[in-house]
Amino acid sequence: MANKKRNLSGFMLLVGLLTVVVLFAGCETKPAESKQIVVYNSPPEWANWGEMLKKFGAKTGIQATPDNKNSGQTVTALIAEKAKPLADVAYLGITFGYEAANRDLLVGYKPSGFDEIPNELKDPEGRWMTIHYGAIAFIVNTDALGKTPVPKSWADLLKPEYKGKMAFLDPTSAAVGYSVAVAANLAMGGSLDNWEPGFKYFKRLEAQGVEHPKQTATPRVIKGEIPILIDADFNGYRPKIKENAPLQVVIPAEGSLKMPYVIGMVKGAPRPDAAKKLIDYVLSDEGQKIWAGGFVQPIRAGMVPPEVASQMLPASDYARTKTVDFLKMQQVQKSFTDRWQAEIVAK
Amino acid sequence: MRRWGAGRFLVLLVVILVSAFLIVPVFISIIGSFSGYWGLTMFEKGLTLRWYAYVWENYSHTIRYSVIIAAATVMIDILLGVPAAYALSKGRSRWFIGLEELLSVPVAIPGIAIALALIQTHNYLSGSWLFIVVGHVIFTMPLMLRAVTAALRTAKLTAMEEAAASLGASRSTRLMRVVIPNVRDAIVAGSLMVLTMSLGEFNLTFFLYTPLTMTMPVGLYESYASLRIEIGSAYTTLFLLFTLPLMALIQYLGSEKVEGQGF
Amino acid sequence: MISRRMADRLWVSGLLLPAVLTVAYYFIYPMLVLGLTSLHSEAGLSIVHYTDILTKPRYRESLVDTIFLSVAVTLVTLAISTLLSMVLVRWEFPLKKLYQALITFPLSFPGVVVGFMIIILFGRTGVIPNVITQLTGKPMLQIAYTNWGLFLAYLYFSIPKVTMTMVGSVHKLDLRLEEAARSLGATPAVTFRRVVLPALSPALVSAGALCFATSMSAFGTAFTLAQNISVLPVLMYTEYTLSFQIEAASAMAITLGVITLLFNYAYRTIGERG
Repeated sequence: MANKKRNLSGFMLLVGLLTVVVLFAGCETKPAESKQIVVYNSPPEWANWGEMLKKFGAKTGIQATPDNKNSGQTVTALIAEKAKPLADVAYLGITFGYEAANRDLLVGYKPSGFDEIPNELKDPEGRWMTIHYGAIAFIVNTDALGKTPVPKSWADLLKPEYKGKMAFLDPTSAAVGYSVAVAANLAMGGSLDNWEPGFKYFKRLEAQGVEHPKQTATPRVIKGEIPILIDADFNGYRPKIKENAPLQVVIPAEGSLKMPYVIGMVKGAPRPDAAKKLIDYVLSDEGQKIWAGGFVQPIRAGMVPPEVASQMLPASDYARTKTVDFLKMQQVQKSFTDRWQAEIVAK
Repeated sequence: MRRWGAGRFLVLLVVILVSAFLIVPVFISIIGSFSGYWGLTMFEKGLTLRWYAYVWENYSHTIRYSVIIAAATVMIDILLGVPAAYALSKGRSRWFIGLEELLSVPVAIPGIAIALALIQTHNYLSGSWLFIVVGHVIFTMPLMLRAVTAALRTAKLTAMEEAAASLGASRSTRLMRVVIPNVRDAIVAGSLMVLTMSLGEFNLTFFLYTPLTMTMPVGLYESYASLRIEIGSAYTTLFLLFTLPLMALIQYLGSEKVEGQGF
Repeated sequence: MISRRMADRLWVSGLLLPAVLTVAYYFIYPMLVLGLTSLHSEAGLSIVHYTDILTKPRYRESLVDTIFLSVAVTLVTLAISTLLSMVLVRWEFPLKKLYQALITFPLSFPGVVVGFMIIILFGRTGVIPNVITQLTGKPMLQIAYTNWGLFLAYLYFSIPKVTMTMVGSVHKLDLRLEEAARSLGATPAVTFRRVVLPALSPALVSAGALCFATSMSAFGTAFTLAQNISVLPVLMYTEYTLSFQIEAASAMAITLGVITLLFNYAYRTIGERG
């Protein structure tokens, strides 16, 4: 009987221990509410968000939990959480900004500097606004390519030596992926109304075996796991210049697309004060210069120091990057997605 | 010593190939996590711990949440499952068997379906790690239930209980002092299995998590999707450090339940 | 005064209540709502979301692809696992327990880790392509993100599972039947085909059912790897998250649930009889 008693108390001890672990752990995980912020779509390896959130945390004491959702996943999460929002701020490709506002997921807030943003790049009520932009480019890891020459044009990518070496983010859920598709279509002579040249090109490109990651793939091109990543130019500059990664940024010869990115405050955000502070910060002089330091083009004029500009590709290359009617780009997005699913994915 | 014909050699070849297929990548991943640069070779640029540092800096919260959720799941499973198992072991009528079947149905339903259902009915829980615990409890409780019911049905408990009752012990005393000590082993075995399953659950958790309640499998997915292979390897190795001891214990205690794990 | 029998009944019900209430509130009720959502359309109750799975090209293709993949995986797994389980039961070799522990270790992996193991083996910097490059100068078999890679990943989690399921049945085989066949002059191959396989057939069917159910409902593995093929669980996720089609997603969830429920039931009942 004494044996059983000891076993029973040993067992009770185990249960007690587990309880203590759970309670202790449960208490520890929540820092003060006011010192937290949740920003959907803020991968540390994208557009210098890592440094931005760190500096923001150092300045305000508000800690952000980075989030790797892409724009499409962000909008979905916002919809799912509409009754009880979990995020405070959302960062989105511009077409998804329109979508989020249409679905009443964002609320208006105009920080100082709002007026400097061109009208076509912001929501009049301030529900979303462009904070920076980039251009669609090839980010090429020259080590991974070895002796193969660096591709210079969309047409180059169809050559056999690049088979199995390319990737761009999923165009049905990531803003940059959709932008790549729009850019390629434009370069092939199409337009937002006419996708024929684009899809002809996509079919040939996909036959080369293109990978479509769903989330930021910057570390993988830095590493060389993906030799050619068609993505936003800033993601190539930053590791190339700051980390000496063996990368080259190429704006394709036939032309490319400018890609604005927007930020908006979530409707019903649990921490609205923190949200406002972040939006203020990313549009402030200090914040805009942090983007510039990461080789992301700030939206407000005059924020790019000359030494940064000199390390990027020359203006003549950027003359090839066009803008489109971004509202229209959003309006045709669903039909593009459907067509991509039907003609490309299903094969 | 049997003669080694061509047939046996063929079998051996297949066995070696399949075993290598299963085992080798695990070891390669662990080794590669220390590689300075994993290209055509692994150790051209020496050894480093910096990938582990990265994982710790960016994903340590996932380890904490995985552990809390697993611990909570086990505790709730014990609190719900052990009394239920005891009650179920009392009879063999159609009712009892039917009830046991009903309580075990969640194991046969894909985690993603359970998650989609929970999102539609219990969304008020979203944002809390309890949401994930609910999901985990639903599909792990049958394991605890089965382990304990099986043990109870074989132990000669009725005789022991009658003896205790005849000595004046109340029902609850009998439960605590006679029944539970005898199923302690089954509860331990069941707990180990539940812990392993909860730590390794992805499908259901992926639908219910938020950045503030991320578990290791979800973090692992992120690292495979976005980060370089050295970081993925380091993170995976850390994850294995949790599940390997548990699996070893389960093997040691002799049970190899194969149901219920979704991939 | 309550009779002792009544008291017993109350006691038993009381012990069962927490578990039953939990399952009712957190499983049965949500699943019913899931079912209702799947039947919801603009015109009231309708099975249109289920028929869509069979009629919409993208959905049907996903269903067909998933079934085809699962069948292929099941057949290949059964073949390999039968071999493996017989070796485990009948051969003796040093460190056998360690070996068994190692090959069942993948049972604790989430699907995403299984996907990563395939990336380790067959990714761009995978072991196999690297070895081939060292030997031949050209990288080959970088197939992790192709359909073959997905197939191999499904094998990776199925083989340990089915092997352990079959070990018990192999233990129960009556060796005397095989010895009798041998003494009558049958070669090992013939003995295997004519004596062992028929004896194992209930186990094969039951393990095959389990394997099929697991493959049909696997999500994490495909989510990590699949680029071209869209298996039904991933399609369900895409429809829910990208297109906000919660009704279609619910119908797919119920469909998958019914399939896995049926095949799991087959696994348990056929297994028990064999």
